[in-house]
Amino acid sequence: MEYSSEVRRRLERPSCRGVLASAVGSASATAEDRSLNVWVRVQVEVDGETLVAARYDAYGCPHFLAGADWIVERLAGQPAAALTEVATGDAVAALDVPTEKIGKLLVIEDALAACAAKLSVSA
Amino acid sequence: MTARSVYLDHAATTPIDAVVAAAMAECMQLSGAFANPSSTHAFGREAAARVSAARAQVAERIGAEPESIVFTSGATESDNLALRGAMAARRARGAHLVTSVTEHKAVLDTAKLLAERGASVTWLSCDSDGRIDPAVLDDVLTDETVLVSVMHVNNETGVVQDIAALGERCRARNVLFHTDAAQSVGKIPLAVNRIPVDIVSLTAHKLHGPKGIGALYVRPGVSLAPLQFGGEQERGLRPGTLPTHQVVGMGEAFARADPASDSEHLRVLRERLWEGLAKIDGVRRNGSATHSSPHVLNVAFPGVSGETLRLAIEEIAVSAGSACNAETLESSHVLTAMGLSDALAESSIRFSVGRDTTLDDIDYAVQRTTEAVTHLSGFASSAPSWCTS
Repeated sequence: MEYSSEVRRRLERPSCRGVLASAVGSASATAEDRSLNVWVRVQVEVDGETLVAARYDAYGCPHFLAGADWIVERLAGQPAAALTEVATGDAVAALDVPTEKIGKLLVIEDALAACAAKLSVSA
Repeated sequence: MTARSVYLDHAATTPIDAVVAAAMAECMQLSGAFANPSSTHAFGREAAARVSAARAQVAERIGAEPESIVFTSGATESDNLALRGAMAARRARGAHLVTSVTEHKAVLDTAKLLAERGASVTWLSCDSDGRIDPAVLDDVLTDETVLVSVMHVNNETGVVQDIAALGERCRARNVLFHTDAAQSVGKIPLAVNRIPVDIVSLTAHKLHGPKGIGALYVRPGVSLAPLQFGGEQERGLRPGTLPTHQVVGMGEAFARADPASDSEHLRVLRERLWEGLAKIDGVRRNGSATHSSPHVLNVAFPGVSGETLRLAIEEIAVSAGSACNAETLESSHVLTAMGLSDALAESSIRFSVGRDTTLDDIDYAVQRTTEAVTHLSGFASSAPSWCTS
């Protein structure tokens, strides 16, 4: 298996790994696919309609962890609607994710969509 | 390759011993024994003499007579010849084959092929230590059973099967017993003159010999049907020009292996590795610790993907399990057969030490693995239990 320098960098120095300190105005959701051996929990903090911060916890292969880091890193500063408009294809290209692993990154989309649903309920 | 690299994948393959390489080189040029050993001229006779000497070296290592050694291209071919050759040669007896779910793919896939072609295959399961209870044969052997094939040392876990007890039960029922000994020769004792084993698969490259050469021990009196045709070499069982340099390399490698001293060195290294890794929170050793070959240590790191860990410590050459499975995304069939969940199996890594491994290598591997697991555990601090159990 080949890994891009971007995957290696994010594995070594993840930018958004962990949990947000403030629970105020935040929502979190998880998604998993046991057959693919991946799990992710995404937590976002909103101020009005804007995502001000985002973090994740994840279990899986290097491409999955790097994908979560790449996708979640781009959420801060975006409108909440961005949670349902994730550019997984861009992540696949940026990280050079092999075709057989693209399905794993869709699990991150699921977690973000679940997050968005929780936010819309609480709004 | 980074500034420091450590090779802990000797169960996949080993570097060729310098003396072995030199012996091989002698057999490649006009000044040496390069000729076709089947040729009757002086050059050919010289090559034939080297082949003969190598055959004796291989035989001696396993307590066999030279005439019982058939050279092949490696253990995979040997396994194919053993299973397919025995089933075809004893067709009049029946078409029942017994093997285990933890075999190397060379046996698994061959058994599946035989099943597709009409054979009845019984798959033996193992316990959580990876061991097969020999007594189970009492219930599965029939008058139509042709062959039982159970590997000596598992390539993923290092677990040693009781081939003497298995062979005794086969012998009592006039059933042939085959074992794949690719991982065991040179590490633990194997003497075919002391245990009732009929057919043994061997390979050179796990023992500091060259790749592309192996052998099959066939006990005198046991008949196998050939899989290939086109010559009388190797008593017609394996036709084709013998690669003198490869054969000589295998002979030298087997002659230089010294289980008495090598196994103690390997055991010290392997136990030091385990003592260091065992300090990492949650780790577990896969497979029997008491019935194990000294060169393999299989460890699960719950909560950390094995693929991710291997990348994080990529300067240390380790394996997900069988190197033959390295290109697939499937969990190890061996570990899942032992009862591990897919997640635990996927979080497992095979370390395998060798003659050239040093204590410093081990300490470095422990340090780097510990650092990496600590770092990677931070990715999944709130992961659900299925990721860790």
